[in-house]
Amino acid sequence: MTERDLENLKTLPVPAARADAKRAAMEAALIAFDTAHSGHAPAAGVSQDKTDAPKGNIVPLRQTETSTHKRSFRMLISSRSTQALAASVAAIVIAAPFAFQHLRTDLQGPAVTVITELRSPANAPVYGLDTARQADDGRARSNAADQTIAHEDKLAKSKEDKESFAAARKTAESVAPPPPPMVSSEPPAAAPSNKAEGDMRNVAGKVTPETQKQWHMQSRLGLGTLADATSPVTLPNALPADAMIIAPEEHRDAFAAHDINPVKQVATDPVSTFSIDVDTASYAFVRRALNSGHLPPKDAVRPEEMINYFPYAYPAPESADTPFKPTVTVMPSPWNPTNKLVHIAINGYDIKSAERPRANLVFLMDVSGSMGPQDRLPLVKNALRLLVDQLKPDDTVAIVTYASGSGIALEPTKVSDKAKILTALEQLGAGGSTAGAAGIADAYRLAEAGFDKAAVNRVILATDGDFNVGITDTGELKSFIERKRQSGIFLSILGVGQGNHNDALMQTLAQNGNGTAAYVDTLSEARKVLVEDASSTLFTIAKDVKTQVEWNPARVSEYRLIGYETRALSREDFNNDRVDAGDIGSGHTVTAIYEITPAGAPTLADDLRYGSKTAPAGASSTAAPKAVSNELGFLKLRYKRPNDDTSQLISLPVTDDLAKATMNEVPVEQRFSVAVAAFAQLLKGAPYTQGYTFDDVLALAQPARGDDPFGYRAEFLNLVRLAKSAQP
Amino acid sequence: MLTATATAETDETLAMLAAGGCRTSFAGLIERHYDRIFRLAWRWAGTRDRAEDIAQDVCVKLAHAIGGYRGDAAFTTWLHRIAYTTTLDHIRSGQRMTAYEPSEIERLIDGSASRTTGDAVDGEELWQAVRALPPQQRDAVLLTYGEDMSHAQAASIMGCSEKTVSWHIHEAKKKLKIVLKGVG
Repeated sequence: MTERDLENLKTLPVPAARADAKRAAMEAALIAFDTAHSGHAPAAGVSQDKTDAPKGNIVPLRQTETSTHKRSFRMLISSRSTQALAASVAAIVIAAPFAFQHLRTDLQGPAVTVITELRSPANAPVYGLDTARQADDGRARSNAADQTIAHEDKLAKSKEDKESFAAARKTAESVAPPPPPMVSSEPPAAAPSNKAEGDMRNVAGKVTPETQKQWHMQSRLGLGTLADATSPVTLPNALPADAMIIAPEEHRDAFAAHDINPVKQVATDPVSTFSIDVDTASYAFVRRALNSGHLPPKDAVRPEEMINYFPYAYPAPESADTPFKPTVTVMPSPWNPTNKLVHIAINGYDIKSAERPRANLVFLMDVSGSMGPQDRLPLVKNALRLLVDQLKPDDTVAIVTYASGSGIALEPTKVSDKAKILTALEQLGAGGSTAGAAGIADAYRLAEAGFDKAAVNRVILATDGDFNVGITDTGELKSFIERKRQSGIFLSILGVGQGNHNDALMQTLAQNGNGTAAYVDTLSEARKVLVEDASSTLFTIAKDVKTQVEWNPARVSEYRLIGYETRALSREDFNNDRVDAGDIGSGHTVTAIYEITPAGAPTLADDLRYGSKTAPAGASSTAAPKAVSNELGFLKLRYKRPNDDTSQLISLPVTDDLAKATMNEVPVEQRFSVAVAAFAQLLKGAPYTQGYTFDDVLALAQPARGDDPFGYRAEFLNLVRLAKSAQP
Repeated sequence: MLTATATAETDETLAMLAAGGCRTSFAGLIERHYDRIFRLAWRWAGTRDRAEDIAQDVCVKLAHAIGGYRGDAAFTTWLHRIAYTTTLDHIRSGQRMTAYEPSEIERLIDGSASRTTGDAVDGEELWQAVRALPPQQRDAVLLTYGEDMSHAQAASIMGCSEKTVSWHIHEAKKKLKIVLKGVG
């Protein structure tokens, strides 16, 4: 089977490159060519004088050859070590039985005549059977092996013999494998005893799926490969386990999976802590999937991002002195009559245009070949045109591009010189770049050049997900962005296109850069993100906003937070000002919803037989006084002003006064956000919504549309209808 | 963009001219070999988007490296080496950065109308199986079978010995046999 299949690799059709990708590549190459040859003799003429070696970064062939060689070799080794880590546990165990397989087949070897023809008289190596012997005659065998190969190749070249050779080789292969590369001084494994063989097989059978699972979990958690955790395990050349682990090499939309926040018992876990999140990328992605008739992948659904996508008219703070105002509403849970929802709404102060600080913006634009389609670079360009109209004359804009290299398309320019900015935008095309330093470093360098302590300094990265920005290691990239954040330059990310979209990385980077990650698929979405939300996207009014709720065990028996799985914090991180958290921009609204089970109502978990029914009196120093019985819990918010390093505290008891008896008494804004929360949970397949259906979501959302000037809520209703008929 | 002479010249002649600074010859080479580069990139990367990115990167690298071309190796061999190392670079950096999800996500999303990748190809299982091989085995198989090279050529590009290539191919076949058995 395999030989034939493999022959197919050559003839199987390969999709054709798009014409504009080819054009872009040609342009980029010619620009690079011109740069490379600019220091060179008159560029126009055809210089035949080869002794006039070009200067700059052109490397003479010999060097190129060795360096590529070394490089490819190094790369192979390190990718192999990656592989090793992926299956290191399996490798150790599996290698032994595998060596046995060789042993067995090799013992049969001499009996087959074909072999004696093809192979040198020396027996095929018996790996690991006798290490000492192997060491002794290793050299001899190596020579023999050389001859074997040479002989094989000679045969291969003779066309007459080709068929019989192929047949012979096939037999040979099924009987004895070609020798392993002799470079490896390690035998694949030490020979196990016969008894060990059986044991090993058993263990191997158990370990493989486990390893696989671990590996999957690692990658699901967004850790990527395990390259950092290099272990000293020597990887044998044979790794049968690999074959079963299908390494997903293809780059598609990637989402990190997070378990849904579980129900927690107040008796054992009374405090819930999380960071604010104002990202919206998930909603746009869900919309795209539904609009194409498919339910979104569950991991792409993040309830908090869907809820926070919508602007809500929550009560606003009066002045910038209190950057935001929390509003708490307690209401019946629409999907579980015995439960209640505690709805926490936060509205950030909306800085009026006149009070806005100056903006120092650097756009870092991906102009690689895949950015060609209309929904990518052209979309970003249009969106930026819209944004430029919103900025003040004093603001500055710079544009850095990156593809194969990076280039500065526009030096920092005041918005008063709008024509220049628009011209630079116009000239951006997929492929227009010069080779040079890393794009992201260039972007930050420009931002630093125009750095103004009183201004908003921000790098905005627009990409279709392939972060080839010069720093390829995620950890390194994260810490780079984090360092820059500390110096006052923040990062936001605009994701476009589909297919390469790397959601997990976008999230991580934006979170590390004190920025937002938004996914933009249409011009109206770009308008929302860059123009309508511009002030909140660009002007941070509070940073490191953390929320902590302590539940009163006398009133609440169980609780769970809807969404914010990626934003959970440890209890002690709340008061630790060095722990980073989310930011709130000007005019941002943030919603967090808890579902609680009041004490006495049916709970999911059984009561502890041996635990006390009430709060452990005195056991927990933070427990609220028992006398305060009208408090369900106590809400605390910590935040820092944009340029401060120490945090401020806002606190608010969640009392019965805040409770509404029926859903109809709840303000429309809160009601709509609950409908979105319900929808997100249904899409996520959450186990806590009981029999709630998409129709129930519609019934809840429809009367709660409120003031909807841009039609976002109407669009939401459409999505719910689409979800009813969407295919998984 | 192409002159009549450029089309008639051999790769090697064009490359030598380009090495000397002739822009037209260089453009001619890219024009002639872009598809080959793209195909190589696609065989490794598996999606059109990525392959296009890689191909562009290769073209830029060629622009910088062409000045060092001395004509002592066939141009295609030389090109292959650059294309191969660039492709591996991309694949490696991508692997490091991406958090993957099981394949159902791609199917869900890619079933949509605005599909931009070109992955629904004949022999998809085979491609997937080959790309899932350990990197060295994958490279050995793709170079020998996909790019139709001899073991010696593959070895020189991979920077290892010829017998190492043979060994990798042998190992790869064993694995493929297991993986593809269910597929038929």
